[in-house]
Amino acid sequence: MDQALQLLFTGIGIGSVYALVALGFVLIFRATNVVNFAQGEFSMVAAFLMVVFAVDLALPYWLSFILALGGMALLGAIFNLGVYYPLRHRTFLPVIIATIGASILMANGMLAIYGPAPQVLEGWFETPGIQLGPVYLDSQYLLIIAVTLALVVFNYWFFEHTMIGKKLQATSQDKEMASLLGISVSAMIMITFIYSAVLGGLAGILVAPILFVSIQMGATIALKAFAATIIGGFGDVTGAIIGGVALGIIETFGAAYVSVPYKDAFAFMVLILFLVFRPQGIFGERVAEKA
Amino acid sequence: MKLTRRDFAAGLAVGVAAPYVIGSAARAQGATIKIGMVLPVTGSAAEQGKFALNGAKLALETVNKAGGVLGKQLELVTEDDQTTNPGVVLAFSKLAAQSEIVAFLGSIRSTQVHAMAPDVLKLGKPMAIGGTDPNLTKMGNKWLFRFRPNDSYSGSVIADYGVNTLGKKKWAVLHSTDAFGTAGGKALTEGLSKLGVTPVIDQGYSNQSQDFTPVVLAIKQSGADVLGSYFTFENDLGIFARQLRQLGVTIPWVGSPSIVGVSSIRLAGATLHGTYGVADYAEDSSETAKAYGKAYRDAYKLAPDNQSAWTHDAINVLAKAINTAKSTDPEKMREAILAIRKYPGAEGEYNFDANGDGLHGYNIVKNEKGNIVFDKHIEAAQPT
Repeated sequence: MDQALQLLFTGIGIGSVYALVALGFVLIFRATNVVNFAQGEFSMVAAFLMVVFAVDLALPYWLSFILALGGMALLGAIFNLGVYYPLRHRTFLPVIIATIGASILMANGMLAIYGPAPQVLEGWFETPGIQLGPVYLDSQYLLIIAVTLALVVFNYWFFEHTMIGKKLQATSQDKEMASLLGISVSAMIMITFIYSAVLGGLAGILVAPILFVSIQMGATIALKAFAATIIGGFGDVTGAIIGGVALGIIETFGAAYVSVPYKDAFAFMVLILFLVFRPQGIFGERVAEKA
Repeated sequence: MKLTRRDFAAGLAVGVAAPYVIGSAARAQGATIKIGMVLPVTGSAAEQGKFALNGAKLALETVNKAGGVLGKQLELVTEDDQTTNPGVVLAFSKLAAQSEIVAFLGSIRSTQVHAMAPDVLKLGKPMAIGGTDPNLTKMGNKWLFRFRPNDSYSGSVIADYGVNTLGKKKWAVLHSTDAFGTAGGKALTEGLSKLGVTPVIDQGYSNQSQDFTPVVLAIKQSGADVLGSYFTFENDLGIFARQLRQLGVTIPWVGSPSIVGVSSIRLAGATLHGTYGVADYAEDSSETAKAYGKAYRDAYKLAPDNQSAWTHDAINVLAKAINTAKSTDPEKMREAILAIRKYPGAEGEYNFDANGDGLHGYNIVKNEKGNIVFDKHIEAAQPT
């Protein structure tokens, strides 16, 4: 029982990271109908920005955090203008290939600048964690879970109760109709890319003290987040979060009670089951028709 | 006489080649004896390549100050291997074409040695290697001589240290499921079974795991009182070490060389304090290693490591072999290398076996608050 509680905590923690990246996937997919394969690299770049500000320049942690997220907003805008915007009238395929190209560019660009050695980023808190009865709560995982919860609330409020959120929703549902109603579609897509880059960056910064800052960190997280997106239902914000957390719990328990070397396989087995029996995911509409 | 195109081409070829042919003949009888060295100058291991060259140069100076070999100075001819297999094959073929080169320094990477091995066999001149795949010296290539202990010894040394020195019998064996980790885990389990110990848990993990909680809990539940590990990547090692300590596991831990690697120590910090690892070069392991460490620091203002120590030993041993053989005839050099016993090198004491393996043991080092401290040297039982 004690063991199960410990596993549950870790599962929710790592699952929250998948959820944050999955959220970025979903938002861009909703706005543009394409999967952004560079979403994982947003996390990696943000983590390296944190190393630049907090470690190399030794700025205060909170300031580095703001600067890194600001940098990500800028990167999101550049990404939109450089990768999506020129190809927006084409089919989804050239855009997807362009995002793959951009992810290769980001990963190798960082490799050229920083070299292959992983970097260390300290966590937000000085205390590494707290022992609560039989369960050890890692402070960084606690922070990740709290941020994910806060984002669930924020997203709900933002998309349902603000004008800009409603405009974003309208754009994602029907671009032509939205523009007829006087909504600037390209401005909405710009906001979506900026927000997704910041979300991906947030995931990267939060998970960096646990996984270290490395070139590969983005790809590893993104693959799981992508699976989480499909499980949750592509295009659904709540689904992405539930899918991410569920995936984290499933793989942690699978590893503990079935087989450790096959840990990654559990995530993808669940993915295959969903693709076969419920391709629209837990909450999604039938995306099979869209793709 | 009419000059045909063929005559012209032949004449041109002779004209172009002549200076080289004459030159090489002259150089062969020249004032130096040459050793060829392939090393990464470009590519991902460029930094390690520099270390390898540093070590070789240091030995070259010593040999030449002491009068060189056969009354001549020893000279090093280098070629970039680009840290790739095709690169190393090309680099070696460039060196192999120079007939005045009498012996070679190969690579520290087993895969590169495999790539060059057929050409080395064809050429028939001795090559010193640093790759630790046990098979390299067992595939019938009599020209490969290894200057580092091969991987089959690390398992038995970890087992020996844990059982006989630390006195622990309940082992947890943890290893990556890639080729290196699987072979390492197997070597450790075999080493333990020779000492009559069966691990209470033998756990594999896949590389780039983001979380090791299930592994740590399994080790905790098994009741193991010592941990032996083969980690391939330093970031996996770092994540595992942190979670191990967080979940309250404090048993002694003896790891493969990655646990005492510079990157691991930087990433894992305090969570690795008090752990043990096997290392082929340890500065305090012998007087020779100490002297080498000092000379290396003085010359390059860098910490010495195995990347430079093995090339240093290789140059010294090759020079000694040529002097003993009183000849640069490949067969005679080979016999002289294989006859070397109790030669004190920076990496350890060289006793070449019939396979061409010079070292058969490892040093156990301890991480004391981030400093790597030599504990003891364990000579593995000779393989049958």
